[in-house]
Amino acid sequence: MSAASLLAIINHTHLPALLVVGLAIFFGTIGANIFQKLRIPQVVGYIVIGIIIGRSGLNLIDEEAIRSLLHFNFFALGVIGFMIGGELHLDLFKKYGRHFFVILFSEGMGAFFLVGSLVFGLAWLLLHDFNVALSLGLLLGAISSATAPAATVDVLWEYKTRGILTTTVFAIVALDDGLALVLYGIASTIAGVLLGQTAGGGFFAIIGYTVYELLGAVVLGAGSGFLLSWILHRSYSREKSLTFVIGSLALIIGLTLILKVDLILSTMALGVTLTNLSPRRTNIAFQMVESIAPPIYVLFFVVVGAGLHIAGMADWIWYIAIAYVVARTLGKMIGAYLGARWTGAAPTVRKYLGFCLFSQAGVAVGLAILAGDTFGGNIGNSIIMIITATTFLVQIIGPPSVKYAVKRAGEIGLNITEEDLMHSYKAGEMISRETPIFTIRTPLAQILQTIADTDAMVYPVVDPQGRLAGLISILELRQSLAEAQLAQWVVAYDLMQPPPEGIKENTPLDKAVVSMKQQNLECLPVLAEADDCRFLGLLELRKVNRQLSQEILRRRQASES
Amino acid sequence: MKLVDYLTVDRVVKLEGATKTQALGQLIDVLSSREVKVSRGELEKAVWHRESLMSTGIGNGLAIPHVRMAGLVTSSMTVGVSRGGIADYESLDPAAIKIIVLIAAPQGQHEIYLKLLAKVTQVLKHQQRREAIIAAESEQQIYEILTGAEG
Repeated sequence: MSAASLLAIINHTHLPALLVVGLAIFFGTIGANIFQKLRIPQVVGYIVIGIIIGRSGLNLIDEEAIRSLLHFNFFALGVIGFMIGGELHLDLFKKYGRHFFVILFSEGMGAFFLVGSLVFGLAWLLLHDFNVALSLGLLLGAISSATAPAATVDVLWEYKTRGILTTTVFAIVALDDGLALVLYGIASTIAGVLLGQTAGGGFFAIIGYTVYELLGAVVLGAGSGFLLSWILHRSYSREKSLTFVIGSLALIIGLTLILKVDLILSTMALGVTLTNLSPRRTNIAFQMVESIAPPIYVLFFVVVGAGLHIAGMADWIWYIAIAYVVARTLGKMIGAYLGARWTGAAPTVRKYLGFCLFSQAGVAVGLAILAGDTFGGNIGNSIIMIITATTFLVQIIGPPSVKYAVKRAGEIGLNITEEDLMHSYKAGEMISRETPIFTIRTPLAQILQTIADTDAMVYPVVDPQGRLAGLISILELRQSLAEAQLAQWVVAYDLMQPPPEGIKENTPLDKAVVSMKQQNLECLPVLAEADDCRFLGLLELRKVNRQLSQEILRRRQASES
Repeated sequence: MKLVDYLTVDRVVKLEGATKTQALGQLIDVLSSREVKVSRGELEKAVWHRESLMSTGIGNGLAIPHVRMAGLVTSSMTVGVSRGGIADYESLDPAAIKIIVLIAAPQGQHEIYLKLLAKVTQVLKHQQRREAIIAAESEQQIYEILTGAEG
């Protein structure tokens, strides 16, 4: 059987939802690994794999499969909103609130005006219809103001960023959906009048509905946040807390669908409320959700890629799509720059924030589908096509440009935990180099003198060939202090204990530390990778912990300065 | 710590040879005849390896050769006395070695090993006691002076 006929069979067989989930996660992760090796953010890998196995490629994940995962996608968006909410502490808003809102407004309006005017001009030129051109301009301008948090935030998490640029990006991407919804509400009302349609009962009805959509989301999320915080205060087991958090998320997501309020904004309000009501207790809740989140994200982005349909677009739609991407990119960059300048924001925000705002996904696609629904025909379909095609493009260029921005701003690796640091170091890099090494002939008198001058707890003893012969612990040395005369004729050889099995210098630090803890050891000998297994030094748990804490403190200070 | 727990009278001998090799050989014979798990050869190798690092003649006619090795079951000591002295036993002072205490401990008894070294040094640092041991007529007498000295 040829590969083509096998594909044809697969294409005509509806795959069970779980198989689709498995395929998406499996291939998505492989794709991400390949892209990570190429130093491209993993989220691009997920989306590209989605495109390959989705509607634009092999069609393994077809429209029906994507539809079957619709509710899962809602859940993923909810988790993303919740995690973003967890990053927004009220003290940051107090400190930078004015900055955030001015920048948000200027970058959103920058994209709206540039996309709106360019699309209008081009569409008028191509289609010779003023009303259609203006409607397209207004609707696409409004949609272009939205920034997708998911892909952007995924890059920030992947590179463990921390600092004022990171914080501003979190705040902006979380909040500009609201601006997009308001702009869309106004744009669709005007377009409805221009195109001779009554889109949902007139201007005030639409504004009223938009206010309801935003305010309802915040009330629902914040209210649930108070309730969940009360429950978490009374729940002492981590497992139960996780169950409550996941349950609440599903509950809120479900309610937003029934109440037709904004999903991301709602779960974000839940996250903000939780993290600000009781930061210490809910920190664990966020950590637990974060630990189960990766497969959810992978699936979400692969399905986003699979859903993109980039074939079969008319020529004029391509031109408008290109104009849309160029204008949106420029609009966001200029708007963010001006907003940051007006508010006197940090230079890194002024220079690089624009690069972090290219991503476009859920809200933009959702609004495009809404426009398709409301206006139908040529305008509706072309908006869906344009947003789909441009989403593909900006999702590919968005994450690398976020990476570029945070790298230039020097914020990469500043939000690192001890575990991350340990994973990034090798055992050989953490050897206590200042700890003196004795030979087997070193007399006790000299050992005592050396110990008085250094602060190690354990001292290595080597043979004449440089191989580790044993360890002297100062606790055990106490025995030999009872008789002063011993100092003259007892040597290191008499005092040392056999060493534990050593590790090679390139062993990852986290593995070495786990090994020490499992064996209940305070130190481990580190040996050269070369065949002679030369002794290089001791890896001391106490000193490793101290060095890691210092490094984390240094990075935190760097992120705050 | 009491020396009586680590020394028996049958481990006290009068040294017959006049060289370090003969003296240590005799003490190793006594020790290995009572140690079932370690061969004489292994014991001899361990003792001489330690001597090669630094002589265990600690001055005032006293030597305390010592080994720690896997295979030994308990910590113990063996005492040899030579009235004529062993001139070739390198020591911290020029005096010939007349009392040799061989200490052997299992690898796992690090603490006992060090305590035993300290204890023997402490007991034998008194000149009168060392002279009494050298002058003693029998092994029993030597044993009693050594173990009785602890009070």
